[in-house]
Amino acid sequence: MSAPTVNPLLPAEAPPRAARPQRRFTAQRATPYLMLAPAVVILVALLGWPALQVLGISFRRLDLGELIRGEIVWVGFDNYREVLSDPEFWIIGLRTVLFTGACVVATIGLGLGIAVLMRHLDAPVRVALQIALVLAWATPIIATTTVFQWIFDQQYGILNKTLVALGFDGFAGYSWFTSGVSTLSVIGLLILWQAVPFIAFTLYAGLLGASKDLYEAASIDGATPLQAFRAVSWPALRPLLTMVTFLSVLWDFKVFTQIWALKQGGPDGESTTLPVLLYLKGISGSHFGVASAVAVLMLLILVGVTWRYMRLLVRSQETEL
Amino acid sequence: MMLALSGCAGSGGTGQAAPPAGPRTLTVWLMNGSAPDKLTDQLHKEFQESHKDVTVKYEVQQWNGIQDKLTTALAGNDAPDIIEIGNTQAPKFAKAGALVDLTAEASDFNKDQWLTSLKDSGSWDGKQYAVPFYAANRLVLYRKDMFEQAGITAPPTSRQDWLDAITKLRAKFGSDPDFQALYLPGQNWYTLLSFIYDEGGDIAKRDGTKFTASLDTPQAKAGLEFYKQLQEASGTKAPKDTDEQTPEQAGIYGQGKVAMMIALPWELATAAKGNPDLTAKSSAFPIPSKKAGTTAPVFQGGSNLAIPAKSQDQDLAKEYLKLMTSAKYQSQFAGAGMIPGTSTDVAALEKDPVTAAMAKASSNGRAVPATPGWATIEAGQNPLKDMLTAYLTGAKSIDAATADANSALNKAFAG
Repeated sequence: MSAPTVNPLLPAEAPPRAARPQRRFTAQRATPYLMLAPAVVILVALLGWPALQVLGISFRRLDLGELIRGEIVWVGFDNYREVLSDPEFWIIGLRTVLFTGACVVATIGLGLGIAVLMRHLDAPVRVALQIALVLAWATPIIATTTVFQWIFDQQYGILNKTLVALGFDGFAGYSWFTSGVSTLSVIGLLILWQAVPFIAFTLYAGLLGASKDLYEAASIDGATPLQAFRAVSWPALRPLLTMVTFLSVLWDFKVFTQIWALKQGGPDGESTTLPVLLYLKGISGSHFGVASAVAVLMLLILVGVTWRYMRLLVRSQETEL
Repeated sequence: MMLALSGCAGSGGTGQAAPPAGPRTLTVWLMNGSAPDKLTDQLHKEFQESHKDVTVKYEVQQWNGIQDKLTTALAGNDAPDIIEIGNTQAPKFAKAGALVDLTAEASDFNKDQWLTSLKDSGSWDGKQYAVPFYAANRLVLYRKDMFEQAGITAPPTSRQDWLDAITKLRAKFGSDPDFQALYLPGQNWYTLLSFIYDEGGDIAKRDGTKFTASLDTPQAKAGLEFYKQLQEASGTKAPKDTDEQTPEQAGIYGQGKVAMMIALPWELATAAKGNPDLTAKSSAFPIPSKKAGTTAPVFQGGSNLAIPAKSQDQDLAKEYLKLMTSAKYQSQFAGAGMIPGTSTDVAALEKDPVTAAMAKASSNGRAVPATPGWATIEAGQNPLKDMLTAYLTGAKSIDAATADANSALNKAFAG
């Protein structure tokens, strides 16, 4: 698919006979765009088109019947009205935003801590830590989720057994999933486990970018470790922190697998987040129009939450160029 | 192996444009673990012999993700000609117009001997869209040796007997901290249904195509109360917030410290994998009723067969159905330990004490409400499970738990 879009490059260079200087100038200017074209075409085809479809479907009534009969029924804003007038949606939306926020803060905080730690550790310990991080990161999501299910199992879980062995008898047969908050805490821990390695490595790479000389200079000037961190590490980390925060928000907002696999959004729907709602409306309920409306609303919330970050990201890239 | 063979056969089995002429292909989708290979081999051979130009393209489907796969297949132009659908999924596809109305041909498919629960779940708005295939229902698996040691002479035949047996078992084995007289997790809602039916209640009342949840009735509440009573009496250590699959109850029974579990017949084989002695030591009895001497009505899970509306060989598909629903092939299901959907002959089940217990209760089988909303519940969040956990853990009173579940069900029924 990408081949024909690359090929036009050649004829574009070929005809510069008449009006040479100007033609060459436009051809040169066009080159980067032409080189980008294959990627852009693929992105538009694979992401843009489905996104437009979702937007279109969100204004249609598309249940199983319409899908099978191939009918197109436009209903205007009915799907949005249905979703927005349901108080559940607002509770779930707020829960999702809070959950995302908590996950992002914890991930970035822990990731930053580990990155700074790695900078100060001796090589053998650091390598051991790095291998452990890579392993945690490389394990498939479902595998880790299953392991967490076993750890937190009420009867046979190693966590409860360990706590009892340590003398906390109250944890014999203790259920970690009795409320939405406790369930989401376990899920948050699971997400943290899987997300921290990437953040830690990225920030560690940033720290490596700050030359050792600078730290030496700082210590000669009598800077405390904290002052050295603020004066030397922080400037190197800031653009990266902006980026990983932005990415974490995107990742944590759309978490579905772990939540669904652990408790299907339970108990009693109390750990249901927007991606789970989307699944319930679309895949379980076959109300594809309503589900699309939820998807569009999720996108709007995400844009709202990340608007400042997106601007920061664009600006920080400009200054670095 | 079947999958590998059929996977490489190019275009889907929609046959030629003009049905009667030339070679045709009949695509049949059955589920993993349903019809034994011996049955399908024999049936396909017979079918192809009597239909010279027809090739049966048999594809075994996995249960996991089947609803999405069916949705895609039934909406596309390359639909299979015969599908097996879980009995709770049929109304959803029937209502959407995805299935062929088989009401007129019902007598070709051995209608007189249809299993009531499957017949109900295959119908929508007074018409029959799916034909019964096979079913199974739960029974109580128990350890004969433990019963004997506890001085229980005969399997319980009433709720009171059942509770008495639990008391005796706990008195005998209670000193072992790992012993459980009955393993019963909090969300075994199929078992709850038995108790609710036994009290004369149901999940919902039907009025034409409209269903209204009835979990707030005194009968349903009585069923729920008995579940709690049984759970408390049983000394089970099972979690109150999971169903029988997490952790898999057969594995726990397999550890040899459980005297009873409410299970499907083949769960004994799973349990015996790591502990082969269990097969000889175990037997089964039907879920006891509160009325002594009778068995409680049971929820019957199972499958129906249907013809997609977009099948291009519906005439062939109907002939295939006729063969599959004939006594000759249906009797093989009983031999394989399942209740045949279109034959009342369950003699083959009575040879084994475990399947005999299933057969004994099978005539009193019931289905979940035949409404498209039920498929949504099964594929999403099940209010009955939430109700059980909330009530058993004391998070909600019985009135609050049943009222919440009732309104959640009504919401799902409304679409």
